[in-house]
Amino acid sequence: MDIETVKERAGPRQFGPNDDMPEEYRKAATRMIQFHANSEVMGGYLDKEFTRHAPSLDRKLANTAKVQDEIGHAQLLYRAAETLGVKTRDEMLDELQNGEGKFLNCFHYPVDSWYEAPMIDFFVDGGAMRRQATLKSTSWTPYAHAMDKVCFEEGFHVKHGESILRELMRGSKATQERTQETFEEWWPRILQFFGPTNDQSTHNDFAMDVGLKTVTNDELRNSFLNMYVPKAEKYGLEIPESPRIFERDDGTMAVRESDLDWDEFWTIAKNDSDGSHEQIGSRARRQEAVAWVRDSLDNWEGSAAGTPQAAD
Amino acid sequence: MNGDADGVTDAPAAASPRPRRPRPRPAGRAGGELLFRLADDEFVHAERLTEWQIYAPTLESDLALANIAQDEFGHARLWYDLLQELGYTEEECIWRRDPDDWTHATLVELAFADDGWGDAVVRTYLYDTAERLRLEALVDTSYAPLADRVGKALAEEDYHRDHAVSWLERLASDDDARARLQAAVDDLFPHALSLFAPGAHEDDIRANGFRRASLADMRAEWLDTVVPTLEGYGLVVPEPDDVERPAARGRDRTHTDDWGDLQAAFTATHREVDFDRPARLRGEEA
Repeated sequence: MDIETVKERAGPRQFGPNDDMPEEYRKAATRMIQFHANSEVMGGYLDKEFTRHAPSLDRKLANTAKVQDEIGHAQLLYRAAETLGVKTRDEMLDELQNGEGKFLNCFHYPVDSWYEAPMIDFFVDGGAMRRQATLKSTSWTPYAHAMDKVCFEEGFHVKHGESILRELMRGSKATQERTQETFEEWWPRILQFFGPTNDQSTHNDFAMDVGLKTVTNDELRNSFLNMYVPKAEKYGLEIPESPRIFERDDGTMAVRESDLDWDEFWTIAKNDSDGSHEQIGSRARRQEAVAWVRDSLDNWEGSAAGTPQAAD
Repeated sequence: MNGDADGVTDAPAAASPRPRRPRPRPAGRAGGELLFRLADDEFVHAERLTEWQIYAPTLESDLALANIAQDEFGHARLWYDLLQELGYTEEECIWRRDPDDWTHATLVELAFADDGWGDAVVRTYLYDTAERLRLEALVDTSYAPLADRVGKALAEEDYHRDHAVSWLERLASDDDARARLQAAVDDLFPHALSLFAPGAHEDDIRANGFRRASLADMRAEWLDTVVPTLEGYGLVVPEPDDVERPAARGRDRTHTDDWGDLQAAFTATHREVDFDRPARLRGEEA
């Protein structure tokens, strides 16, 4: 199939492994799904911290289940990416470990407190939900299928985050203040989650043209703001004055993008912020520490005794 | 004892003032001891296992160990719930409890090294084998609320044991990995030997029929299982009587330094936010 045909036929779940897709499409889809899979893994580096902090047994259980879901999503997404025939899962995991793999800006910031749990689990996941819901209509069918399961589980994660936020904002004055401070720190990062305005996004036009993306960054951020600004206010959080949020003529909300630090965003996009080094370094260090296990599994599977099913 | 709340009050020292409960009958103290040993083991074991989430060697091994950790937290919740029926609060059971009152085995509190996957495998094997024996010994307990729940926990232990054994088998087939398993056995076996050490109310536990088997018999059966199994994988297991035992025995509420660090870490947020009560989410999201 040539690119023009792809663009003509582009639509929800239009293409799959039986279609002869042009390289440009396969590479763009791989880039997008790999980014998504990497983000599930690297989000886990934040969320796992909250398991230790969780102040009730039920919260602890909900949190470990969420972290497990994220690894499950990564597994599904790497598999969906592999169907494009561009990279194997091992190659993608190697890239993540050696600092080439890209992932969401918010997961480049290390966390160390429970107050950050709702910032990730409610706002960042809430933003992710907005994006993922639209990806059920992506043109690469295996990706859309993965989204069916991911979106279902993300719904629970966002509720979990919302419940933590509600509890914190019903806590003591000191607890509410700490939560507000943490929110102010995270709010600009969350707004940048959706990326820059459309015309600055390198890969955006092509991804839209071939149906991999169905909604622009701007539309996603708008939909997030419409839904989450009222929720934040409902729980007693104050939206910071900067970056400025304004209402457009059509009644939808937008952010003055010049109020956001795009140098920081692009440094992160190159995996080059201090937080990037810390998070990717943690990934590399922890994966290296158990490389011996993967080596011994390879030996086992290569031997007569080993069977592929045994590899869990 | 019929399972009514009969006010067990040899409660772990709670930091927060609570209304005094009636003086306990011995059966209550014995039931409390039995439940705390079960609950504390499961909670602390799970707390350590969750450290492997995201850090496990592969995505598949991450998911599998996370499953086990969640099962164990779920079991801890079963037992802590029963303690709450006896009159304890979740704060008293976990969050505000003096670290020197916990009765889990030291085996489950030890910190993992970054490369300690062999430790995780050997630890879960030694622990889950003991756990299975312990639950089987409770199937015909005279304590009805406990009997109702043992089956659920027992059903999940098969998977845990299979998981540990399949990892032992795979790692033991590789020289480097087997050396790491051996190091884990050397480190962990002395701690595991205290799994079946009796507590203060052991005689009452038996006299009340809460547990039919004696700890000595269970320990012998555990040794008869784990020693030949580990040896079958080419691992050297020391003679139990010759082992130099760690000073901390766990069951007598003495613990290693690793426990103090862990307990301080997992209670830090609870102390700081100081909510009225720990959030319960049954049927909502947990």
